[in-house]
Amino acid sequence: MLMPDKYNPEEPLVMHVDLNSAFASTEQQARPLLRGRPVAVVNRRVKNTCIVTASYEAKALGVKVGMKLLEAERLVPGLVAIESDPAKYRYVYRKLMAILNSYSPHVVMKSIDEGVMDFHHLPAGRSLIDIGYEVKQRLRDEVGSAMRCNVGIGTNRFLAKTAAGLHKPDGLDVMAADNLRDTYATMKLTDLTGIAEHLQRRLNGVGIYTPLQFLDADVVTLEKVVFKGIVGRQWFERLRGYEVDDRPIVTKRVGRQYVLENRNLSRVEIASRLHNLCESVGARLRGQDKAARGVYVYTRTIAGRFWHDTYMSQLPFYTDRTINSLAQNLFAGAPDDIREIGVHCYELSDNNNDQLSLFGDELAREQQLSGAIDAINQRFGERTVHSADTLATDRFLKVKIPFGSTRYL
Amino acid sequence: MNDEIFLNERIKVVAAFGEGLNPCRPVKFKRSNAREVVISEIGLVHPVGHGKRMVHVFDVTDGSADYRIELDAERLTWRLTREADHVDA
Repeated sequence: MLMPDKYNPEEPLVMHVDLNSAFASTEQQARPLLRGRPVAVVNRRVKNTCIVTASYEAKALGVKVGMKLLEAERLVPGLVAIESDPAKYRYVYRKLMAILNSYSPHVVMKSIDEGVMDFHHLPAGRSLIDIGYEVKQRLRDEVGSAMRCNVGIGTNRFLAKTAAGLHKPDGLDVMAADNLRDTYATMKLTDLTGIAEHLQRRLNGVGIYTPLQFLDADVVTLEKVVFKGIVGRQWFERLRGYEVDDRPIVTKRVGRQYVLENRNLSRVEIASRLHNLCESVGARLRGQDKAARGVYVYTRTIAGRFWHDTYMSQLPFYTDRTINSLAQNLFAGAPDDIREIGVHCYELSDNNNDQLSLFGDELAREQQLSGAIDAINQRFGERTVHSADTLATDRFLKVKIPFGSTRYL
Repeated sequence: MNDEIFLNERIKVVAAFGEGLNPCRPVKFKRSNAREVVISEIGLVHPVGHGKRMVHVFDVTDGSADYRIELDAERLTWRLTREADHVDA
């Protein structure tokens, strides 16, 4: 049973590895003449796009992630903007994963640029600090000399990640019971992973303004007043170094969205882009051997108005044709002046092709068609075979790297 | 904003095949206009699958411009696909 005022006394055995400005560092690694220069990675070659990652040189000059490129270029005239190159980042991700897997069988990649190694249940051996420095060196040797990473070591995932953020770039820190209070004393509430402005306001509402006050808050206040549920107790334990975040990630939905390249597109042109998204969602769904029962379509207008609609089917589906047909029906009810569209499939289940159906022949034909198209696309490259009405959309709808998910890497 | 030029140019490459993590190391290449580029550093080497066909992408520099050259592992051909110049800024 957890002692309320005690911090987890065990040896820190969780290591968090976080690539520094991952996409920008990878670009600087690939293109030596960009090293030491302010670099911003963007998803599109247009001025009103947002910055996905900035190099440390750009960050030092005030460029922030999420900033409009136009604004950043005004701030830093020599800024070099580069369109993201997912293949390169996937390669670095796989290299990082291979390095981490060589130290522990318990590795979870939290996103494309960070992974967690758990050394519990492994025989005691080398110190984790030695391993941390070796990971840094191997990253430089096996990927490139410009690659740097932060390493954090803690008694749980939260402390390891917090430690990894203490000295950027290229830091290595340990957070455990003996330095917990001293470390929290140097931080702001929003420095804690999971505490954004709205949670900060809630904490401020009960007189908590610093991580130390958060640490000293009693569990009843956190559970009953601040978080109104079990999340309060989880924060109480998390801050003390007890593990509450070791949960498997379950895929609940598969989807894609797209900000239109031009705000004057006709309804038919937008529908063809939606069709392209549906094909991509279908491929991802089948790639995970899943079927869905629900389709969700949303749009955002130029004025910022949000619209969405859903459809729940009695039978599971997974073919592009069905997903597109359901999504297009929903899309017919969407308002005009659209700026962004998205489609998601939800209520996922394992795809069981063998189940008998009243519509057996038709379903079997559709399954075979999807299987044949997927096989051709896997052999000759993505979108070798696709619907004719999406022919002109590929140069706009390029697949980009999603943050926070490693499902499709 | 982005000074990269996208190309699709067949090139002649001199490469050394050795040991280690990156056994294939292009040394220099000759462009279709007969200009020779001597590689001073290989930035990143990563494979890209075009379906089942594998292309090895080499991001390299000669010290005055960055280049991307690609080795098609099936056809054993080299192409120059990108060029970017950055030394003046």
